[in-house]
Amino acid sequence: MEQPKTDEDQQLVARTQSGDAAAFDQLVIKYTPRLYGLVYNMTSNHEDTNDLLQDIFSKAYKAIRGFRGKSSFYTWVHSIAVNMTLNFLKKRGRRFHLSLDDVDASIQNDKEFLELTATSSPVREADLSELQRRLNEAMMKLSDEHRAVVTMFHIQGMPHSEISKILRVSEGTVRSRLFYANRQLQNYLDEFRKNPVG
Amino acid sequence: MDEFNDNEIGKLLRLKRYEQPPPGYFENFLHEFHRRQRDELLREPLWRILLDRTQDFIFHLDVRSLTSYPAAIAAVLVCAAVISLKIYQEPGTANVAALQSGPALSTAVNAEGQWTLASPAATRIFRAQPLRSLNESADTHRAAIPPRYVLDSVPVSYESTFRF
Amino acid sequence: MPPFRLAFALSFLAATSLVYGQEESATAVSHHVKEVFERAAKAVVKIHGVDEHCEISGTGFFIDPTGTLYTAYTVGGEAGNFTIDFNGKRYPAHQVLADIRSGTAILKTDVATPALPIGKSEELEVATPVVAIGYPLDLPETPNFGMIAGFDRKYLGRYFSTTHLRVNLPTQRGEAGAPLLNMKGEVVGILVSSLENNSACYAVPIEAAEKIRSDFVRFGEARHGWVGINVSEAARRVEGSRAEMTEIMEGTPAAGSGIKPGDILLQVGRKKVHEPEDVLDASFFITAGDTVPITVLRGSEKLTFNVQAELHPASQRPPLIASPTNQAIPLKLDSEVQRTP
Repeated sequence: MEQPKTDEDQQLVARTQSGDAAAFDQLVIKYTPRLYGLVYNMTSNHEDTNDLLQDIFSKAYKAIRGFRGKSSFYTWVHSIAVNMTLNFLKKRGRRFHLSLDDVDASIQNDKEFLELTATSSPVREADLSELQRRLNEAMMKLSDEHRAVVTMFHIQGMPHSEISKILRVSEGTVRSRLFYANRQLQNYLDEFRKNPVG
Repeated sequence: MDEFNDNEIGKLLRLKRYEQPPPGYFENFLHEFHRRQRDELLREPLWRILLDRTQDFIFHLDVRSLTSYPAAIAAVLVCAAVISLKIYQEPGTANVAALQSGPALSTAVNAEGQWTLASPAATRIFRAQPLRSLNESADTHRAAIPPRYVLDSVPVSYESTFRF
Repeated sequence: MPPFRLAFALSFLAATSLVYGQEESATAVSHHVKEVFERAAKAVVKIHGVDEHCEISGTGFFIDPTGTLYTAYTVGGEAGNFTIDFNGKRYPAHQVLADIRSGTAILKTDVATPALPIGKSEELEVATPVVAIGYPLDLPETPNFGMIAGFDRKYLGRYFSTTHLRVNLPTQRGEAGAPLLNMKGEVVGILVSSLENNSACYAVPIEAAEKIRSDFVRFGEARHGWVGINVSEAARRVEGSRAEMTEIMEGTPAAGSGIKPGDILLQVGRKKVHEPEDVLDASFFITAGDTVPITVLRGSEKLTFNVQAELHPASQRPPLIASPTNQAIPLKLDSEVQRTP
């Protein structure tokens, strides 16, 4: 996912700060799909994601007066989102139920999807929902912080530099968390080898 | 040989981007956001709303307008002080009509009928009508806000797999 | 009389009697619906509550003479400070149990009340006429008349926890928790959500709420059970079933029961299985701690295994139970409500 143009955001933020509510609406419309992906993949629950998103934008709206533009709006709002979600997950603990979104049909046209189903033996198109379940289970077994970096890097496609700004850790920390998380996921998903689907 | 390597894990994870909320979700999101904002605002005490609006006005003032509208600032501050005092003395019988009659505030209404003094969210809510009438207490005002009549359009939970 | 005239006269008589009969049955239907409404309305109440955002308003109904009432989870599940309007007065009520999986909640008020008799949703068919009674918006109790449109396992691509009744009757906000009655005046479902601009709605079968209440009476909480088997679609239908047990999960009651991956599922408890999605209903009614007989086909052999169900992982959310009161919940249920398989 490419990062949005920062000058457009700057304008919208400035307008919001001077009282133009419609400008904040534009920011909400622009960032909801992105932030949805981030929060959903960290929580694996659609309803919790919805509530969190409302709280995130509400917080951003209240705090925007004090936003000085030291970082981009993108980084700032993602920071709010990640922190609120991590706090929520700490409170939620192990008690939750998966509430997964459906996979959009356009996945059938995805180049990587076609590659995977054509070449990789553990994966078969007919078992996409099974795959979704396994992957989500594996993700939920990661710690919240590891799931956050995996979501941001692999799913949201953010570069290491951006992730490190959002989480306020060094890029080295981001890389090592990713490395560790990948190993963990690999171990969990190894079951595919033992129980091939399809 | 069949083990997932890092590359494949990355590909599988990227495919999670296709897990999307139901159709219409994003379109509806903004409406829900506004509803919550209105809700929050209506539950704030009046003195807080006034304070915010005053802060906003002062915060966004530039030097030119300062020299042009000294009376406006003074009137706002006086109104705010008077009303805050009134509220503290007689909780629940605030007269927002007094707010309306302040000269500064009526001149501050712009062509679209929106309050320029208002904090951004308020431009949606505050029309030129009093929030409460003179003799209504805070209680009757609260009762005038209807409750949320419950009938959701989606069920509360789902099963994601066939298992038992 | 010439045959032509006779035929004409007879058909004329038949037509008029048909029209007259239809008028008569139309009157009879409206009379019948009115009767159901008038008898049941006394036991249907408006519920007020306060959730974290605002006041809420919904519908509920009594199912025993001591003030136990059923409503939807969206009304009674995540709010507090409940009060109900009954007999022209307002009474406080408290939450006894709320279960998100069934979409239902049980509240209690400490007052002597009329109660709706419990029916059987299994007796319903598509086009069976039904009546709902609810409190739309700020209006008084209102009847709704419609018919069963279908029995749905899923909505917009997502599976319900158990088959829901889809009902073609118009609903308005505030009617979540309304009882769905058959023409005998028995409750067969609870309204939980609307679809398509409120022109139709979903109701949870009453047996689902009864299961939760039965769990509460037995254990003090909802006890969703499971054995730990994943089911997918088999390549071919065998003995009427396409449900293949593809995974026996580790550390579950099914592991070590003798069931093997690849076995075709034929029956869970009393419920016969033909498709993988049949497992949803079977699963819903399993209570943790109960023994579940599972019949499978392995090759050409039919085998039955008795597996003791454990607590379903999805129900690890803390059960929402109000603090106990002095008023006892009646221990005796009217009928054998446990649809444990």
